Order: sequence, then C-alpha cells, then structure tokens
Amino acid sequence: MTAVLSSGVMSNPVFREPETLGGPTREIEFRDAIREAMSEEMRRDKRVFLLGEEVAQYDGAYKVSKGMLAEFGERRIIDTPISESGFAGMAIGAAMIGLRPICEFMSWSFSLVAADPILNNAPKMLYMSGGQWGCPIVFRGNDGAGGQLGSTHSWCVEGLYSNVPGVKIVIPSCPADAKGLMKTAIRDDDPVFFLESERMLGNKGHVPEGEYLIPFGHAAVRRRGTDCTLCSWGRPVNFCLEAAEILAKEGISCEVIDLRTIRPLDMPTVIQSVRKTNCAVVVDQSWSFSSPGGELAALIHKHCFDDLDNFVYRVHSDDVPTPYSSKLEQEYLPNVRKICEAVRAATYRA
Amino acid sequence: MPIELTMPRLSDTMEAGTVIKWNVKEGDAVRSGSVLADIETDKATMEMQCFDDGKLAAILVEPGKQVKVGTTIALIALEGEDVASVKAGGGKSGGGATAAAPAPAAKPAPAAPAPVAAPVAAPVAAAATPVVQTETRHGMEGFPSLEDDGPRMRVSPVARRMAEEQGVDIRTVKGTGPGGRVIKRDVELAIENKASMKTASAAAATISPSQALAVSTGGVQTPSAPLALALPGRDVALTGMRQTIARRLVESKTTIPHYQVTMKFDMDRLIDLRQSYNEKLKSSGVKLSVNDFLVRACALAMAEHPYFNASFAGDHIRIHETVNIGVAISLPEEKGGGLVVGVIKDADHKSLRQISADTKTLAEKARTKGLSVQDMSDATFTISNLGMFGVEHFTAIINPPNSAILACGAAVQQPVVRDGQLVVGTQMQATLSLDHRVIDGAMAAQYLASLKEFIEEPETLVV
Repeated sequence: MTAVLSSGVMSNPVFREPETLGGPTREIEFRDAIREAMSEEMRRDKRVFLLGEEVAQYDGAYKVSKGMLAEFGERRIIDTPISESGFAGMAIGAAMIGLRPICEFMSWSFSLVAADPILNNAPKMLYMSGGQWGCPIVFRGNDGAGGQLGSTHSWCVEGLYSNVPGVKIVIPSCPADAKGLMKTAIRDDDPVFFLESERMLGNKGHVPEGEYLIPFGHAAVRRRGTDCTLCSWGRPVNFCLEAAEILAKEGISCEVIDLRTIRPLDMPTVIQSVRKTNCAVVVDQSWSFSSPGGELAALIHKHCFDDLDNFVYRVHSDDVPTPYSSKLEQEYLPNVRKICEAVRAATYRA
Repeated sequence: MPIELTMPRLSDTMEAGTVIKWNVKEGDAVRSGSVLADIETDKATMEMQCFDDGKLAAILVEPGKQVKVGTTIALIALEGEDVASVKAGGGKSGGGATAAAPAPAAKPAPAAPAPVAAPVAAPVAAAATPVVQTETRHGMEGFPSLEDDGPRMRVSPVARRMAEEQGVDIRTVKGTGPGGRVIKRDVELAIENKASMKTASAAAATISPSQALAVSTGGVQTPSAPLALALPGRDVALTGMRQTIARRLVESKTTIPHYQVTMKFDMDRLIDLRQSYNEKLKSSGVKLSVNDFLVRACALAMAEHPYFNASFAGDHIRIHETVNIGVAISLPEEKGGGLVVGVIKDADHKSLRQISADTKTLAEKARTKGLSVQDMSDATFTISNLGMFGVEHFTAIINPPNSAILACGAAVQQPVVRDGQLVVGTQMQATLSLDHRVIDGAMAAQYLASLKEFIEEPETLVV
C-alpha cells in the first residue's frame, strides 16, 4: 500500500506556466482542454481511469469525454448507474488500493448525495490511516449556475467543501489553465476537487501544443493595475476582466488576480498586489456567509492591515437560493455591474 | 435586537435623503414588503420598503428633514420585543432624534444569537426594481453608523502609515472618506502641498501661508492630468510655483461662481495729470504709472464698498478692516516665469507716491531675489494689468480668498462721442471678475461707478 504514496509518478513533475512555453498554440474549447489532459495522463499512466454517468457510451453529458471510450475501452472509461454515493465510494476504494480514478459528477450539485464518501472518507484517509493510505483521486464536474437550472442544480460547492481540511480545490477560468491544472490534479496524491463550469465549457482559448503542468497554489496576474486588486477564480475572473476594462475608462486601474486554486491559496501574490494598490475587492460566486471569498478577505485584512485604504469589499452571489428566471439569475450572480460598483466604492470613487 | 432602518443610498451621487412622508405610525405593525416611507433623493422620490416583520418602534427622522445616507431613521421591534423599551433604547446612533438613556436591551454586543437567515422573499426584490432596499443587515443592529458616533478621528490604515512615514501630522489632514475618514488621497494631497510649499519657498517665491492653508484644508483634488496628445514634443517639469498656480486657479475657477462686469473709463484727464506730476517730480526720481492711479482708485472705492474688501467663509462673509491691494507681477522667463501677487498694504491710506514706491520695490524684488511670504500675504483685492502689452480687454480669475479681481486693459486713443461730437479720446476698459456669493451684479455696477468717478476726476485721488 505504501507504493501508492511513493509511486514516483508525482515525484518530479515539470511545472510550467502555459505562457512561458513559447511554441505553437491552438485555439480549443475548455472541454477539449480537459479531455486532452485526461487522455494524455491516461496514456502516460495505466492506473488512471474515468468513471461517471454517461461518460462512455454517450461521450459525456457535456461531451468532455468525447472519443475516450473508443481510445481507452470500457475497462477505463466506465459508465456508472445514477448513484453518486455508490460510484464515488467505489472510486475512493479504487484510489485506496493504488489506482488513480477521475470521478465525473455531471454536476457538482449531484455530489451532495455523495457527501459522506467525498467529504468524510477521501480527505481524511491519509490522516486516519496514519499516513498508510492516501486517496489520489480527482472529482470533477460542473459547478455554479449553469443557466436556468434552478436552485437545486446550480450549486457552488466550494463554499461548503473548502471548509474541509485534506482536499485540494481547483477552479480554472480558461482552457489553458484547465489543461495544465487537470494534469497536475491527476498526478497529485491527494483528493482534488476540480470545478468546471457548464457556462465555460464552450469557451475557446489558446492552449500550447507541448506538455505543461500548472502548479497548485500559484495565482496568475491576468491584468496589471495600480488602484485596486480584484481577486477571483473560475468563471467570475472573466467578469473581473470585463469590469477592469470599463473601470479603466473611468480612470481606475485594476489588477486582476486569478487564484486558480483556493486550496492551496496563493496569498503571497495577493499580498504583493494589495501592498501596491492599497485596495482589494474579492469576487466569489459562492454565497457570502462562510465562503472562500470571506476567508480570502480575512487573510487580506490580516496580512495587509496597514496597507489598506478601505476594508475589503466582496462581491458574491446573493444570499438566496439560485433563482430560475434568467434575469434574476443574472442579477443574483456576481456580474460586471456589481464588480464595478464594488471597485468604485472601495476606491472612494462612488 | 431591534432593526435599525438607515437612510439608503439610492444613487451613486446621493449623499443625503429627505423623508417626505411616513406611511406608518409608531406602534404600527409592519410586514416585509410594506412601504414605510417616501424618500426624496437628489434625483427622485422613491418608496422605502420594509424587509422585516415587526412593529415600528420609533421614528427618528421627521418628515421634511434631510439626513445623510446611513443615518438611522427608524427602529423596528421584532416579535417578542417591547416597543416602548426599543424606543427608549433607540436613537443612540440616530440623526437628531430624542436621545434617551440606552436601555439594557439595546447594548451593542448582543449576548443572544442574532437571526442570520435572509428572508426568503428577498430574491424577488433583488431584481433591479425601483423599490428601495434599506441598508439594514441582520446581526448589525446596535452598531453605530459611521456618521454619528462622535468626534473620534477616522484614518484608513494606509493613510495613517503614509502620514507617519512622511512626517505629516494626521490631525491637520481633512478626511474626504465616509464619515470624514482620512484616506490615502487626503494624505497624498497633504504630502504634495508640503512638497510644493517647500519648493516654492526654496525659490523664494512662496504663496502666503494663509493661502496655502486654504488649499490644504479645502480637500480640493489636484487637477487631473489632461488627456495627452500622442504627438512628439518635450515635457517641462512643473515647478512648485506652477503646481501651486495650477491647483489654486482650478480651485478658484471650479468653486467660485465667477461672473464678469466690464466698464469703459475716459483716461484723458488722468493721463494729463500723470504727465504733469511726472514732469514736476522728475527731479525727485518719482515716476507715477497709470497702474499706481488705478491701485489708489480701487482702494478708495473699496473703502466705500466694503463687500469688495471681503471673503466668503462658508457660513459667513468676512469683511476685512484693512484694504490690501494685490498686484499681479509676471516673472521673466529666465527666473522660471510664472506669476506672483505682490501686496500693497493699507493702500487706501497711502499716497500715490507711496503706492508707486511700494509697487516698484515689490516688482524689482520679485524679478530679482523673489518676494517674501510677507510681501505676498493678505491681499484683499487684486489688480491684473496687461495694458502695457497693448491688450485692450481680458478677464481674470479671482485670487482666493478675494471676492473680486480687476483686469485692466490698455488706455487707447479712439473715436469717442462727447457732448454730441465725435472726438478723439483715450479710453481704458476694465473688467471685474466677481464672486457672486459675496457681490451681486448691482453692487458691482456701483463699485465701477465709484471707480469711474475717481479715474475720470483724478484730482480726487490726490486729496
């Protein structure tokens, strides 16, 4: 069993930021980037396999695993019954005996029925076994409001799940990051929750041809600025960039930081930026109360207390179940208007 | 804990709001969704909706009264709370309400857990409807609002640190943040003012301390950099004096309601008189300028019209006891160029000869070693004269805290109708720029009429 921990596969990963690779890139969709990462890792490491609802015969409910059954066969691309509790538990068992499962939840909203295995078993295994068994597993799926899916299918689970020690949580905002972070996730020896967004699967972006892995806990500065630090992850990073464009026309220069992973959380990059701008706005599509955004704001207050010109403003989803109406849903989510308002207030330009 | 309803911010520019009408009385039951009051903002009158169920315990702001955003305007007693004790305990942070001794029930640190669940009805109201949401937050009850908890000084952490590092006394900095909080830009402005005063005094051409103070405590923003053209060129760094000119004139032009009144003056007699005096006084080295006559005329007219010798001071107008006339002096390019205002003190009590001597001394000093702070302090009126350059008419920007400035053109020969006959006369145009907060148009006309008497009958200037 100790072989799992000392397998050596993770021992010397070469971490590279995609933009430092040089070389040719292609413009591909977010879903293609994830598929490439999974396929490359499956070719490299026979222990890696994918399971979940509709991942095989149907090519994935969102076509993320398109063509993978044909390449890897039904022993490694496994359609499961509609029973998250069952197949998540099975995947954890597989990880414990030395395999490296990728467990797809069609939506992270459905992972709630598998709360016991994913929160109570996987993250605690290494601790409770005294270091004998880890749980190298990737749980992945769509997170957040997908567009009129209603309250029960629109969960942002990071608020709940990031509270649990022992998990790593990855929330990419663009295809290049999705690929590099997914490869790192598959090679990581800890359970990794990989949060995608139905609204971003069709987003296109430039992805390098060559192999690269993006380290966890390394934020990317998406835009340089001097007046306010905007911190976000996942889909809202794109809203922050839009807001920064608008605010630049008003004379407010925003630095946009994409945290990429919230566990671990890259505080040095945030601190360095806030010491420069003296102002921070955190954008997190979780609900406000006990959210990762709240945690980040608290950490900024702690580490940058003497650097702040105002308290840290936060933009979250409204503190209500996700509305079904498209207009209300848009108003409920962190959006460009709310981000602009928060930055103006934080910089005393309101 | 009772709910404090605060004046909501209904637009980006809204600083304060007025309760037009309360739709409920103290003691009335209110429900989430009921319209409590009509609020007038700077733009419109809107309904203020309630988001809690309970009883209206106290109205803290009477209809018609304007209060700042964030001020507590009413208290709602929740279920199980006694309306009378909520009312008795309320108003501690309210704006101008009856301030009874706080009851134990309204202590700021509640021991009982505050309800934290949001009302389920909120999603509907969360849409961008014109219905007003109050700023009330569950769990925040009992915390005083920023505006109203006494004279404690508020400073943002980075502002405090910057002030310490730069040796700025934070108590002298006026805060422009919420509740008067001193924020980064306030300290930056103070540092900049300090730096520009240093530079200016090093060049022996500082502005007067009272004028500098008016700038540094005025909370006026440094003028933003204008849009640059993407064309080749060379950049000239701003001297301290140029920065001061830029800041103070923007302040003047943007905060003082300027208007201008122009009059023509017949100058023939004054020019004749000047010529005869100068001939007679040549041996004693005296040479009176037209400007000396104008300084004296303005000073005497000011003694007759005290509001021209006054400053607008926020809630009152200050009429000064002495008449000090500032004369704008341009500095030569090799001295760095620019403009200073030399001051002739007690000008209404000085003879033409004295005024002439003072002016020459000031101009000479300004163009050689520079004026001292005293030379430039305490002007109550300013004259700017471009007549020697052939300019016939221009307008000037008021030199704060003055209430007026006179822009004088050249005395030029021109056709004049006098007693029904077309003759050649010498005339000068002069334009007053005025602060309408102090001086109205008719007052300006009266002043110019007095000035006209003095100038057109120049003998009156001598006696």
